[in-house]
Amino acid sequence: MPLFLISALVGAVLSGISLAIFAPYVTLRRISYMGEALSHIAFAGIALAMISGLNLTFGAWMFVSIVALGISWLSQKYKIQEANTITIFLSLSMALGIILISLKQDYTFDLASYLFGNVLLISASELWALGLLNVLNIAYVLFFYKELFYLSYNPEMSKVFRIRTQAVDKIFYLLLAANIVFNLKSAGIILVTAQLILPAVTAFNLTCKLYKAIFISVIVAIISALAGFAVSFALNLPTGATIVVCQALLYTLSFIFKKGRR
Amino acid sequence: MISFKDLQYQIANKTILEDINLEIPDGVFAAIIGPNGAGKSTLIKLLLGLIEMQEGSVIIDGIPQKKWLKANSFGYLPQREEFDRSFPATARDIVLMGMAGTLPWGRRFNKEHETKAVEVMHMCGIGEKAGAQIGSLSGGEYQRVLLARAILTDSKYLILDEPEAGIDRPGVTSFFKLLKKFNEAGKTIITVSHDLHTLSKYCTFLICLNRRLHCHNNAELINAEVIRNTFGDSVRLIEKEY
Repeated sequence: MPLFLISALVGAVLSGISLAIFAPYVTLRRISYMGEALSHIAFAGIALAMISGLNLTFGAWMFVSIVALGISWLSQKYKIQEANTITIFLSLSMALGIILISLKQDYTFDLASYLFGNVLLISASELWALGLLNVLNIAYVLFFYKELFYLSYNPEMSKVFRIRTQAVDKIFYLLLAANIVFNLKSAGIILVTAQLILPAVTAFNLTCKLYKAIFISVIVAIISALAGFAVSFALNLPTGATIVVCQALLYTLSFIFKKGRR
Repeated sequence: MISFKDLQYQIANKTILEDINLEIPDGVFAAIIGPNGAGKSTLIKLLLGLIEMQEGSVIIDGIPQKKWLKANSFGYLPQREEFDRSFPATARDIVLMGMAGTLPWGRRFNKEHETKAVEVMHMCGIGEKAGAQIGSLSGGEYQRVLLARAILTDSKYLILDEPEAGIDRPGVTSFFKLLKKFNEAGKTIITVSHDLHTLSKYCTFLICLNRRLHCHNNAELINAEVIRNTFGDSVRLIEKEY
């Protein structure tokens, strides 16, 4: 197997794992729209990083993190409906991204690979970054398990019972932004949200324990990455899209299993 | 003792609470009554620090509320706790929330914590449901889980916002009997309620609120006139001699 294919396979698996660790929390907190919005907002972040000469991934992460914390703060402070705030930010960011990219005419920008992802283009440094991100994700989820559990259950009650969730919540958004931005190369702006939801909803069809759901979510992501990679390689299909289809198939199977168990 | 001093609260230029000066002594079973929109839940939320104070102050055990809340928590039972019925939690997990704030980051619950939680659940008559998924509990069972969570805080104050919501009549009576037991064991109970019939049997201190305070006194000193002033035309009082 050529080295670039091994890198791509490892990249697809690491990418799937990193999104799958966060997926149960995104599902329980009912903020899947936030994942959708942040992936689109990352587009403006990439464009801004390009204009200012920053590293694209790092620049986009900075931008997405600021916007994610901003949305969270605005909706808590002024009780604005998060869905409305996010739609405004999402549309504005896409518009801003398109304008900025059109201004930078001397730069060749492979828009399609960011929109739909192309894991074959993943570099060694990006693999390391994904590996490090996974370590951070696991450490975060293990260390703040209790706080994340109650934050997901009810943030207002967490405050009443003095559970220290404020900083945990901020770190959550910073890591969520990192997970989205660092996976754009492999999963793509359009498809990254699917990988942030499907493994978790599949897991919750199979278990009603959070720690088991996180574990199953990761297993679903690994199986889908391996199967999706193999099928896309054999049939010459886009890898990111095939992985998402595999996740959707596993979700369907889990749904049938859940219905059959009742 | 909890003291409210010169409390005012407005939402979009509409006065919700006005000139609230109130002292709730320790050990009472206090009920806050008033019609819908009287500001009862707002008063509770201000006390809990869930909404920012605009004017006035709250003093708890002689300490300003913000400072008190940094070191203590109330045992609180909300009006309607929003939760996803499919949330992957057992009744015991929700009860343990009452003591989660006492543990530092990274520390998990141990056997001792879990045993204590189940003991409190037994006191609240819900012990056998400790391992049940929250989605499988009835409204009355869930209220008892939330009461057990409030008790587990070990706070001397129990604050309840319409605890009878979603419980049938026999359930309400046994729930208030349970509250009375905790009151007799030393807890100060402050409850918002519409159920004047049940309150008349259990509460010892009545706070009549309709934007302003109409009274705050020992329950037996409250007469029909005060109730009429608080509720206006929204209630019809039938006085009986006993």
